[in-house]
Amino acid sequence: MLSYILRRVLYIIVVFLLLSVLLFAMYKLMPVDVVEMYTSGMQQEMTPAEYERYQEAFRIKLGLDQPIPVQYAKWMGRMLTGDFGTSVKYRRPVIEIIKSPMAATILLNAVTMIFVFAICIPLGISTAVRKGKIYDNSVQVVTILGYSLPTFIIALTVILLFSLVLGWTPISGMYTPGTQLTGFAAALDRAKHMILPVGVMTFTSLASLTRYIRATMIDALRMDYIRTARAKGLREKVVIYGHAFRNSLIPFITVLIGWFLGMFGGSVMVESIFNWNGMGKLLIDSITGADFAVAMALEMFYVIIGLVGNLIIDLAYTVVDPRVRLT
Amino acid sequence: MGKKQKDLFREEMVQSPGRTAARNFFSRRLSIVGMAIFAFIFFGCLITSLVIPIDLTYTDSTRINLPPSLDYLRVPDALAGNIKAMDIGSTYGMGIDQNGKLHMWGTMYDTAAKLKDLPADMKPLKLIACGLDHASAVAEDGTIYSWGNDRMNITKINEDAQGKDIVDIQAGQWVTIALDSGGNLYFWGNDSQFTFRASDHQGSYKAFAINIATAIGLTNDGNVMALTRTDTGFSRVPDEVQGHAVAVASTDKIGAALLDDGRVITWGPTTEREQLTVPEEIQGRVTQIDGGRTHFSALLDDGSVVSWGENSFGQINYPSLTGYDKVIAGYYQNAALTSEGGVATWGQRGYLMGTDQSGRDVFTRLIYGGRISLTVGFISVLISGFIGILLGGMSGYFGGKTDMFIMRLGEVFSSIPFIPLAIMLAAVVSNRISDTQRVIMIMFILGFLNWPGFARLARAQILSEKQNEFVTAAQAMGIRERVIIFRHIMPNVLGVVLVSLTLSMATCLLLESTLSFLGFGIIEPTPTWGNMLNKCVDSTVIRKFWWRWVFPSLALGLSTISINIMGDGLRDAIDPKSNDR
Repeated sequence: MLSYILRRVLYIIVVFLLLSVLLFAMYKLMPVDVVEMYTSGMQQEMTPAEYERYQEAFRIKLGLDQPIPVQYAKWMGRMLTGDFGTSVKYRRPVIEIIKSPMAATILLNAVTMIFVFAICIPLGISTAVRKGKIYDNSVQVVTILGYSLPTFIIALTVILLFSLVLGWTPISGMYTPGTQLTGFAAALDRAKHMILPVGVMTFTSLASLTRYIRATMIDALRMDYIRTARAKGLREKVVIYGHAFRNSLIPFITVLIGWFLGMFGGSVMVESIFNWNGMGKLLIDSITGADFAVAMALEMFYVIIGLVGNLIIDLAYTVVDPRVRLT
Repeated sequence: MGKKQKDLFREEMVQSPGRTAARNFFSRRLSIVGMAIFAFIFFGCLITSLVIPIDLTYTDSTRINLPPSLDYLRVPDALAGNIKAMDIGSTYGMGIDQNGKLHMWGTMYDTAAKLKDLPADMKPLKLIACGLDHASAVAEDGTIYSWGNDRMNITKINEDAQGKDIVDIQAGQWVTIALDSGGNLYFWGNDSQFTFRASDHQGSYKAFAINIATAIGLTNDGNVMALTRTDTGFSRVPDEVQGHAVAVASTDKIGAALLDDGRVITWGPTTEREQLTVPEEIQGRVTQIDGGRTHFSALLDDGSVVSWGENSFGQINYPSLTGYDKVIAGYYQNAALTSEGGVATWGQRGYLMGTDQSGRDVFTRLIYGGRISLTVGFISVLISGFIGILLGGMSGYFGGKTDMFIMRLGEVFSSIPFIPLAIMLAAVVSNRISDTQRVIMIMFILGFLNWPGFARLARAQILSEKQNEFVTAAQAMGIRERVIIFRHIMPNVLGVVLVSLTLSMATCLLLESTLSFLGFGIIEPTPTWGNMLNKCVDSTVIRKFWWRWVFPSLALGLSTISINIMGDGLRDAIDPKSNDR
């Protein structure tokens, strides 16, 4: 087990390095002159010769005069020590800029996850138990909608319905502008602004997870040990939750973790529509604003999340299913 | 059970798996409906886009955010038959009946909605003029009314004109000009985009013509001059016109004069003038002329009508009837009146699905956007399917180091969240490529990032198929490996992969639209269902201009839903577990 984890970690490091080369290459290919972005403000105040010297000085300061491999090594070294560079737009270290959006994204995703858990497990189980009945079929139709429709269409529809027609929720943003709320009032205000984004994210992720639980539950309910359990005279509740559901958990864990990781990528859309200042919105803003130091740090985060997530999936297997042995 | 005596031999009839699957698929009503809807959308977009032309660079500031309607030409029955005066506005029309009562028809939305609030105590009218979103009218006693969009002084009547003997009144986009019997012109409205100058010949005007940004005057001695200053050829009136003109008309950019010998002379910027060349056969027979945005309509000496110019909305598809004595053109619509007050109309009837923020027809863009979105989805699925099946097949069949390497590679690809990576990739190549290259680039990005799923599926299938006896038998017979993979194993794997391909088409559609929606996929002016929604995240648009997002959303949603239903149906049809036998 330990040696397996060690090997996987080693493998992750290799892949991470490969991906970082790929990302760095993309970074270098970006059609923007970084020096120009830093120095263009001074162009008016200097003579062309002076300006050129100023630009050259900046080029050396940023290390852009060195060969690409050296640049990569230095950049990687800085990344590993936690120095993600400076944002061109805000003129502040990237790490400071990323902090609050990261918290916002994690908040959004965590709350969504709670709702998804609370809804999709009972829903998946109950539809599996009532397979083929009207209840099951109608849930199936709703879930098909959930995973077929793009997030932005659902988002536009709920904005129209709940914000514009009914006026129950704010249209977008993270707090009511112009207010100085504290404590409970601030939390309530934040919660109000979270209703629509969380609702949309829950609805879209609910669909595939519910269908998944239903499918694995149906398979599990066909097994002989279920018949045995029923034959023993166990209560139906025990049969379903104690026997069938525990066994259907294995594939579910994989999907669940995969889904949670995907959510970090997927919340890009929701954040940009609802003006939620999270990492996804920051990524879009930094790429459109050519603030690539921020974009690179975010991409690195996504990559790490992805790789570590894969490891967790494999480890989770052994925890939920003792039959699986990692070698 | 027991309903029918089962025939033992019948039951033994062997059906090929393909036929069983097809029979299963078509026995499910839902899958057929899904397939029908998808086929309708797919072929509808492909075929219709071949029929309807599209000009990607087209924009029209007078046609922005119009709701779906087809009633621009629907003259009310109460008016037809007893028309005294009539004019055509942007998306509506107004007419005065013999009793001086005002009738209106067409679409009046957003800024034009105020047109429905008529001025209080209107006296019987004699003249009417319709602009973009305002209208002006003159009563029998000379009182002038101006109403509608009242921003920027558009309806602030020039007090000098009030009570004068007005003989003609016409409206431009946001301006109104009136002519009195003494040959004086009166101007009011928003002059920020309309430089009007008539002082040179005040007192001697006989007629005038006005369009969006242009106006022409005609004096009693037959001289013609531009009343608006432009740097195009519009102000250079040809000399052959001077002294002979009896009537004038104007499109958006071109001026036209009707001479005393029945000929029509046009002037203005060269390219536009060439599009509006006067048909030779009507020269010498014209008795009256009027101009729309990009076309002219004329009345001939035998009472028939002719339209020529651009035909983007059918505005020159004139009826071949005679007996008219007045022709009216405005924007893309036309009307011809008989002396008894009857009316015939032709030209633009409206927009089936409204227009967007640049005045472009949503229906046309929906069709073209569908063609592009569906093509991108289809081809990127083919790309990822090809790569996935090839690598997955190799991985599953050869095993060992190859398997290890390919599967790890797939893991790397699938471990990175898709949208951030695609955004980054799209940003790298964004600025230096043409629109067509961009479309191709998106296909490849989607294709290259999606293959690991197929590879894993193909590998798993091949691993299980490899265990079968027929493979061992083939190997024992000394059949070459390549033949075993492609002839013996692949056909058994393809069914499952096909289902996965179908379902993945929906995913690709969603991803393309998501990227385009965020502005990192295919960008304007090339339409896709995703980027049509790009400018719609705005509370005004969502509620007021709902047609801009509802129709593309419906098309996209229906496509993905029907693909998913179809894919589910296919999966159940192929899955041997679901067979009733």
